[in-house]
Amino acid sequence: MKIKNLSGLIVPLLSILLAFLIGAIIMAALGANPAEAFQYLIKGSFGTINALGNTFNKATPLIFTGLCACFAYKCGVFNLGGEGQFLMGAMTACVVALLLGEKGIEGPFVCLLCLVLGTIAGGIWGFIPGILKITRGQNEMIISIMLNYVATLFMGVIYTNWMRDASVPQTLQIPQADRLARIFPKLRFTWGFAIAVAVGILMWIFLFKTAPGFKIRAVGYNMTASRFNGFPVMKLMFLSFIVSGAIAGLGGAAELMGTQFRLINGFGAGYGFDGVAMALIGQLNPIATIFVAIFFAALRVGSTSMQAATGVPTSVSDIIQALVIIFTVAGLALVKLPEFEAFRLRLVSGRRKA
Amino acid sequence: MDSTFISNLLLATVRMAVPLIFIATAELYSERAGMVNIGLEGLAAIGSLVGFLMCFITGSAWIGILCGALAGILVNMIYAFATVTLCANHTVYGMAINIFAPALASFINRVYFGAGSQLNQIKLMDTVNIPGLKDIPIIGPLLFNQTPMVYLAFVLVIFTSIFFNRTKAGLNYKSVGEHPKAAATLGIPVIRIKYLSCVICGALAGIGGAYLTTCYSNTFTEGNIAGRGFIGLAAVIFGRWNAVGVMLACLFFGFCDALQIRLQVMSIGIPYQFFQMIPYVATIIVLSILGGKKSGPAAKGQPYRSEER
Repeated sequence: MKIKNLSGLIVPLLSILLAFLIGAIIMAALGANPAEAFQYLIKGSFGTINALGNTFNKATPLIFTGLCACFAYKCGVFNLGGEGQFLMGAMTACVVALLLGEKGIEGPFVCLLCLVLGTIAGGIWGFIPGILKITRGQNEMIISIMLNYVATLFMGVIYTNWMRDASVPQTLQIPQADRLARIFPKLRFTWGFAIAVAVGILMWIFLFKTAPGFKIRAVGYNMTASRFNGFPVMKLMFLSFIVSGAIAGLGGAAELMGTQFRLINGFGAGYGFDGVAMALIGQLNPIATIFVAIFFAALRVGSTSMQAATGVPTSVSDIIQALVIIFTVAGLALVKLPEFEAFRLRLVSGRRKA
Repeated sequence: MDSTFISNLLLATVRMAVPLIFIATAELYSERAGMVNIGLEGLAAIGSLVGFLMCFITGSAWIGILCGALAGILVNMIYAFATVTLCANHTVYGMAINIFAPALASFINRVYFGAGSQLNQIKLMDTVNIPGLKDIPIIGPLLFNQTPMVYLAFVLVIFTSIFFNRTKAGLNYKSVGEHPKAAATLGIPVIRIKYLSCVICGALAGIGGAYLTTCYSNTFTEGNIAGRGFIGLAAVIFGRWNAVGVMLACLFFGFCDALQIRLQVMSIGIPYQFFQMIPYVATIIVLSILGGKKSGPAAKGQPYRSEER
């Protein structure tokens, strides 16, 4: 049992190492010095207290979408619609803040209201694939992906048409008083980060320490057995889809209220699939997902200063992230193979003989 | 609503349906061997970029298409190894491909062209008309004045339909997706067919992506697949795992796409994004109306281990 848990840690770490090795080869092929590039990468993400603040700021939306993917997968449903749910949350928060702002209503109360409404909007966007899954037996992956595109286009309607900022295709910024405050005034990350971490911890407690959480995990682990045990499988799947969407919606609202302040082309793009990657590398453990998200946020933040100093393009960090997921998922499958177990046992017994 | 409007609409329908036909047929070959591959979006993305790049370098759209297919195969071999040999979960690994392949495509694009790559354009594949037949009103230009890729797509559908329904090899192939253990006892090389299905799937999805850059728009933009990989998945369900059905589903989705472009041009005052939603909303509605009758290959998505016989 212990070895099994250990492999859950070793496989991702080895995958990260391997991905960085390939990243180094790519950098060398591009004519940069990998050692120097990695130095800037680390310095730019963890090197100074400011850089650390930027990393936490970047990690916030990734934690939310990671937890969103994590929660649904735990119940055995694949929510690929994190991005759409994230955007619905952000759009709701933005529209509410701007409309109230026009009437002169602003302040921390509005901020709280926006976060709550954003959460609800995300939940509604998760409700649609959930209800179609349990009533029509539909493929929740396709539905939730399609809803991502609908949400992205709808956001386009808002910032190019309905609430356009004069000639520029973007909305106005939300009022200053509505914004999520920074925890430390000098550092860029806001209370959004604290909320994200809190959601992750609550999710861990819920999933691993409570009875409903156990039922959700049971459905994800073995649906047939859960049904025979009389668990309301469909209801749990449906609820987990809504909660999953709500988490992403809260993330979208927090990102808008804390970091972006307005809707603009490319807002939130890619966060949904990034979240799936975080959850898979974190092996559906909420706490691990938080750390994975912070790690990849660091990679992104650091890659900007790496590009400035060495000319290695920032998209190297995307490649490294993509390689980590390719290796991790394959590696986790490998260690589950009976052949690998036999090989490991042979290795252990061989060592004992010697 | 005159006749040129309708013939233009039908023409656009066929052009928009072709990449979907390649992508959905790719999934059909995959699922018929029991391999549920949701990584089509990623395979098409890498096919699209490589197709564009090779066409840009060599000037030949055909080399672009060929290299797009090769790129699709190469990336899908990662999926094949992980799911067939390592028995990784199909959905999870397909998702990994969906994250990996577009990242690779955009990286190659940025490294090769640097910033501001939108300006690089290629010459699209020429249309080839069939003399005589192309002058038939409406269906003439529709069916007989297209790029060769359009003809190839329909040949592919006919071939696939005959292969799965009328040949022994096709039945053997399908048995791998229905009951791999029974197939293995009959001497059918299950693992080899599963790998073969991934080669075909990678190639066709790569071609579908390459079509978008070499025959449709003449440039590569990130995210140009725009959900077609997943619409292709929906088309396989909608078409009930049958080549002709899948083609009809693709034509329907192609029609939605063509319609939204026409409506965008015609209606001023309504935000164009509402029209762009049409194909996605249509996919959701069609799938919901269809319901989730359990169908398709019986053993799809399940790992196969030859030792467990």
